Amino acid sequence: MSALLEVSGLNKHFGGLHALRNVSFSIAPGEIVGILGPNGAGKTTLYNLLTGFIPPDSGSVVFNGRTLRGLAPYRIAGLGISRTFQLCRPFGGMSVFENVVVGGLGARRSARADLAARALALLTQVGLGGKDQLQVESLSYGDQRRLEIARALAAKPALLLLDEPFAGLGSGEIADLSALIRGVHTEQGLTVMLIEHKLHEFMRLVGRVIALDFGDVIAAGTPEDIVRHPAVIEAYIGRGDAQEHAGAA
Amino acid sequence: MFGKRIDFAGAAGFVAFMAALPLVFGGNYLIGVLTVSVIYGIWAVSWDFMSGLTGRENFGHSLFIGVGAYTAGFLNTSFGFGGWWSLPAAMVMAMVFALVIGLPTLRLRGPYFALAMLSGAVIMQRLMLIFWEQTGGEEGINGIEPLIRSQLGFYYFALAALVLVTALLLALARSHWGLILRAIRGDEATCQAAGINVTFYKIASLLISAAFAGAGGAIYAHYQLQVSPQLFAVVTSITIITMVYVGGMASIYGPVGGAILLVLLTELLRNFGEWRLMIYSCTLILILFFLPNGLIAPTWRRLRSKLVRPG
Repeated sequence: MSALLEVSGLNKHFGGLHALRNVSFSIAPGEIVGILGPNGAGKTTLYNLLTGFIPPDSGSVVFNGRTLRGLAPYRIAGLGISRTFQLCRPFGGMSVFENVVVGGLGARRSARADLAARALALLTQVGLGGKDQLQVESLSYGDQRRLEIARALAAKPALLLLDEPFAGLGSGEIADLSALIRGVHTEQGLTVMLIEHKLHEFMRLVGRVIALDFGDVIAAGTPEDIVRHPAVIEAYIGRGDAQEHAGAA
Repeated sequence: MFGKRIDFAGAAGFVAFMAALPLVFGGNYLIGVLTVSVIYGIWAVSWDFMSGLTGRENFGHSLFIGVGAYTAGFLNTSFGFGGWWSLPAAMVMAMVFALVIGLPTLRLRGPYFALAMLSGAVIMQRLMLIFWEQTGGEEGINGIEPLIRSQLGFYYFALAALVLVTALLLALARSHWGLILRAIRGDEATCQAAGINVTFYKIASLLISAAFAGAGGAIYAHYQLQVSPQLFAVVTSITIITMVYVGGMASIYGPVGGAILLVLLTELLRNFGEWRLMIYSCTLILILFFLPNGLIAPTWRRLRSKLVRPG
């Protein structure tokens, strides 16, 4: 099967900082792929390049056979890539329900049919049923994360990019949210990418991991392979420590 | 459903009250004050539609007002067009100016749009003086024909225009369009991530806002029967913003009340001579300090919720 997303030779500098260096990978339809890396590895920069928020220095992104070069973020979103943000960015001064409806307003006209009913259904699906008329400001942090996902799903995306969906959540909330992500993945065959820098819950959720460090892809493979990969261990624990661990083992 | 009926009844009551005022009290002075207050209402509502909903403050609404008024003046006196041509022409001209300023500045974040509007208005005011041979300079354009000869008739026309503009913008503000504008106020990046063309919505909303401000300017020109560079004055824009704050930002209908209230307050304070500005300013400060969400719209919402759920 041909790839849903094909990233090749992506480069991005910020001044002297190499945020991404020659990053290439592809994602097949229906996958859940994790992007792993310590803080500053270039994970969010990668999302910003994929969604058109910042332009790459070089390299190409092809989504569904279409190159995304030079497209504005709203055009890329319209093609079927939805994203959430690392820090929750709900629309302030609006109700929970209105937040989800806005998420669907940019979609193709055909995807906007019965948006109101679908928004309510999405809220129930993410576990916010009955909270639709609340102001977003009154939601707990965990609920805001759920709302972000409902808002992103309202656009009926083909590819969902989640940016640290578990950040700041307790372990119970993380388990709930993982179940939710797994649910939309299996029910709707949605392709999902998620960024995380903690290994924990993430490893059980994703089928494949791409590990980044200092802008380079340092490893890619199944979660089991990745946790044993020397480059990943080095990035996470450090060279000296890794040798000590190896020596102790 | 019941809530909607209450809104409609409230609006009908307000229009009936405004229509009855000159019949009960009479006098050309009162009709004049009410006409001006209603025209300010059109300006305040049109400001609120763009700036109140999106949060992109426009510090030069007087630019559109002045452009509309001068368009009416030129068409009517220099080119001899009938008075009713002024309205569509003023709307189009104001939209042209909105496009020229909005296209480059509304793409950007930061204060560029607010500053460009402010300086646009100031520059136009200067240009009216510099090209005095064409514009009449400080004197402006005189001898504009009235649209309707009877003063009361003209007031009712202006009131009808206000009702029409408010109803239109209120319907638009409560549609998906308004939802998008409020979302833009919330977070532009998230809007883009949701596939919304943020720049298009901001510019199109500015065009709509400008069109009605320009129409209001033309109505004002045909009321005063003359136009002067003072129409572009920054103080007009600031007064309009104050009216929106007092009425209740982003409510659309609130600024109508804010405009009428402040125009009437200004007139009532005429007897206080030198104390006038002092009392006016203190009243404003008190309103904005104790009621940061404004006076009119929040009061109506409270009243409405009591009516919908009695007890």
